[in-house]
Amino acid sequence: MPDQVSISDPTGVGPPITLDRFEVPRNLEDHHQRVGKIPEPDPHYVDLGMLYRFAQIEAVRRSEPEGFAALHLAVRGHMGTGKDHDIEQFAAHMGLPYYRIPLTGEVRDVTLIGSTRLHGDGKGGTESRWEDGDITRALRGPALLNLSELNAAGAETLFALHGLLDRYGALDLPNGETVRLRPDVRVFGTMNPTDIRDYAGTQTLNKAFADRWVIWEKDFPAADQLQAMLRRRYPSMRDDYVEAIARLAIEVNASFVVPDASTRVESPLSLRSVLDRIPTGLRVYHSDTDPLRRSWEEFVLPHVDSFDRDHYETVWNAVVRKGPAVTPFAA
Amino acid sequence: MRDLLSPEEKAIEAVVARYQRVAPAVTRFARSLSGNEKLRVILGPDAAASDQEIVCDPRLFQAATNREAPVTAAEMALASAMHEVVHLISSNFDEPESPDTSTDLLEHLQKEGGPVAEVLFFNLEDARQEVQGLRNYPGVRSVLTDIYQAAISAAVSKAGPLGQFALGCFLYCGDYVEREAFERRVTSRAQQALSHAHPLCRKAAAADDPMAVAELALELLEIARDYGLLTSVREEGTQAQKRMQQKQDAEDAADGADMVRLPSPSVQSAESYHDVQRATEARAGLSDRKGASELAGDASTDQLLRVSEAPTVYLPTGMAGKLIVTPAPVTFARFAENGRHALEMAARRWGVAQRQVSGELYPLFAANQRRGLRSGYDQGDVSPHAALFIGAGLYQRMYERRASRTRRSYAVSLLVDASASMLQPRNQGRDRHSWGMSAALLGAMTLARLCHELQVDFEVSLFNRGFASRPSDTEWTYTRAASQAAAGLRQTHGTAATRLTSTVNHYLVKPFDRRWRDAEAVLAGMFWTAAEPAQAALAARRDPRETPPVSMFERAANVDEFNLIHAAERMAKLGAQVRVLVVLADGMTRGSVEALTSAVSAVERSGTIVLGIGIGDDTATGAYHRFEIVNRPEELTRAMVEGTRSALRRGLALWGIDSWWLRPNRYEIPYLKEAVNA
Repeated sequence: MPDQVSISDPTGVGPPITLDRFEVPRNLEDHHQRVGKIPEPDPHYVDLGMLYRFAQIEAVRRSEPEGFAALHLAVRGHMGTGKDHDIEQFAAHMGLPYYRIPLTGEVRDVTLIGSTRLHGDGKGGTESRWEDGDITRALRGPALLNLSELNAAGAETLFALHGLLDRYGALDLPNGETVRLRPDVRVFGTMNPTDIRDYAGTQTLNKAFADRWVIWEKDFPAADQLQAMLRRRYPSMRDDYVEAIARLAIEVNASFVVPDASTRVESPLSLRSVLDRIPTGLRVYHSDTDPLRRSWEEFVLPHVDSFDRDHYETVWNAVVRKGPAVTPFAA
Repeated sequence: MRDLLSPEEKAIEAVVARYQRVAPAVTRFARSLSGNEKLRVILGPDAAASDQEIVCDPRLFQAATNREAPVTAAEMALASAMHEVVHLISSNFDEPESPDTSTDLLEHLQKEGGPVAEVLFFNLEDARQEVQGLRNYPGVRSVLTDIYQAAISAAVSKAGPLGQFALGCFLYCGDYVEREAFERRVTSRAQQALSHAHPLCRKAAAADDPMAVAELALELLEIARDYGLLTSVREEGTQAQKRMQQKQDAEDAADGADMVRLPSPSVQSAESYHDVQRATEARAGLSDRKGASELAGDASTDQLLRVSEAPTVYLPTGMAGKLIVTPAPVTFARFAENGRHALEMAARRWGVAQRQVSGELYPLFAANQRRGLRSGYDQGDVSPHAALFIGAGLYQRMYERRASRTRRSYAVSLLVDASASMLQPRNQGRDRHSWGMSAALLGAMTLARLCHELQVDFEVSLFNRGFASRPSDTEWTYTRAASQAAAGLRQTHGTAATRLTSTVNHYLVKPFDRRWRDAEAVLAGMFWTAAEPAQAALAARRDPRETPPVSMFERAANVDEFNLIHAAERMAKLGAQVRVLVVLADGMTRGSVEALTSAVSAVERSGTIVLGIGIGDDTATGAYHRFEIVNRPEELTRAMVEGTRSALRRGLALWGIDSWWLRPNRYEIPYLKEAVNA
């Protein structure tokens, strides 16, 4: 990998940002394991602006301006908008080991920070040993920490992270050790919006905890962005299909985000549906009379709540009705 | 071309029901198109469009449905609704022609080109709005294309050259047809004119505003004139003659396109556009008053929506029909005090016990379900209450043993005919009194108490045919809604009005999931209405705003089989193992005895015991396998209560419960005795 990476502004407005990649010191005990956790750049990834924004913050940090304090970035968006993918790709570009730690309601502070455990010595005796938790382990070397589902974690779990995220920048472990935030560690988070939607286990983020983050919203991609993603990932997919799939996603997701409960759907058409499921369906049913319709029936509708079926089908009839009459992929 | 929709699917209530399924998405699309997140799309008898709401006339959806086109019902519902929404949102021809004048577009057009120019303008504008408004909805456009193309052949063959030319302008502008294919079908004169007109039509499709379209319409008029498509008027002709000739030309021009375009009043003609504007002004302020209501606020549309949303009940014979299922009017509770008194008198007069109706069934049902104990002469431990039992002579309960909690469950549903004939005077000894419904409701009351005591799930429903009452109706609101809906529907839907206002109704007095205490007052009030119909009618006349809707019982006809099937389905959903359905009616069903018989058989095959009780009419003998004909009020209530008790006993016997201690009953009905022994 080159020592530097250049990240372009997808809107074409801002200048490309060139950054030095991080290095994983060879003297770290877990050097080998850590290097293995650096993600590969996704050749199909399309930056919708979030990667560039991350790079902008990183560039400012690297310039060490006066009064600068490290900021931690959280991305908030509905399921399937590609939040974690953005953060993972930033780690890949920066050459940082990527630690994704889901903060489900079941995760406790000891799981994240660590605890003292008894170990047998093989002779009938035992000794107490400190064992790092997930976050502590990541903080011991260069890392990009992605605390996903921030608003699903319990309050006591989040409070344990306050010290790490504010100006103090360190974790005080129960064994007396202080683990400082290294200059080559970046902390990110993701969360779903907290409204009446069915994101089981989520809650409004504690205000004190939320204040320790910069929270950016990530919307569903626009039609041209979806088309760009589909074309990059499936260069041989015919335009008729690319446009129809993008239209379906745009209209379904427009129905998902409306505030009026009487006119909305409860399930969006996620990027996983758009980029993974439907194209797979097109390959499976490529010789069908209407491959897109068949993919829709087999790979999309089963994910939809029964009370949303009429709305999904109405969207189908409104924006597609009959799938393209050609095969989905050019030979 | 094959018509995909059957006549039943084209009925207005079926069309509205299908629209209701696409309505949320259509509203969302309309909001996106208008850029107004609060826009409401509602149904009403007159199309209207304002910033806050769009009122679509469901007859336009029905007109689209009546087209023979290769589209499905769901596609048709979506396309016709979106078509109407797009035109209502997009049509605004009131802007002045230029800032210096007060003449609006349509006046300008009329002045410069006359009625033919107006026809051409609306053809172009209709297509332009569809092209631009439905840009993001190619599926809808494809449905419209199929609908239009299905009508082209007939339109071309009927229209003259001018009509063909105007039709071609519409189709070219909307890009609904291949140019060469269409031009091969039309006359040579129209063909030549159309080839000249084609670029202008395509230009109209991309025009930014209606004024530009109007100018193009005037250019098309000149092309039509140049190719001799317009009737030439002699120079010396009078103004009146010229106007007559222009009017005839306009009709000729409209002939072809009107057979192809879907009617939408905002782009149909200047006159219909102004009607929409007037309807919009008439509604101004109404939407604010209606709040978030989805209804257009008139009784006829309310009734249409109500019928369309009603469940369709399917009979084993293959017949199907709508059934309005609604809670009984709660206002009957206002007669409750009188009703309770009258009930007490009637119970005494007809010898119907009103306390501890459950008798010997009680220990086996409620008492033992609560305590988990079974009593007996000789098994188990001595009851702690043995001394009390011995003192009371209840030797059979001296001992008790623990029994596993019963897993059996019971459900009883009582269906009472509530047609006017039940209120008619009948022979009672030497006198003639109106006792049919009152005896039935006394039976219902007693039966409800029986089930309540036994902690058995039960339901009491009334059924009739007529204008369906709403739960909060008073006599005043009911009669007014009925007359307004009938008048409105007659005006908008002609002969279908009778079908839409005289519905088959199923009133839930005490549904399974409601407490008996909540329903008791309503049933008592209904009893008084039934026992004293003249007094109830008098009270309604004196103070219609406060009295319950006693007029809801005024019609005599009924359709028993739909109600029976629906009640059985509701009961089946409970999952009860012993199910008893008691149907009480006084005569022929308005449906058919054959359908009723097959409905009863189907319900019985599903494991439900159906008891048919006929009042002075032997229809029940032919339709029900278990039936009783009664001719006196005391017979009726006893038949209902004892029939149910016996059916419950039969349920116990079938489940292997010891029933040796069950006392023979004084009012045992012979056929039910057989059932117990079965």
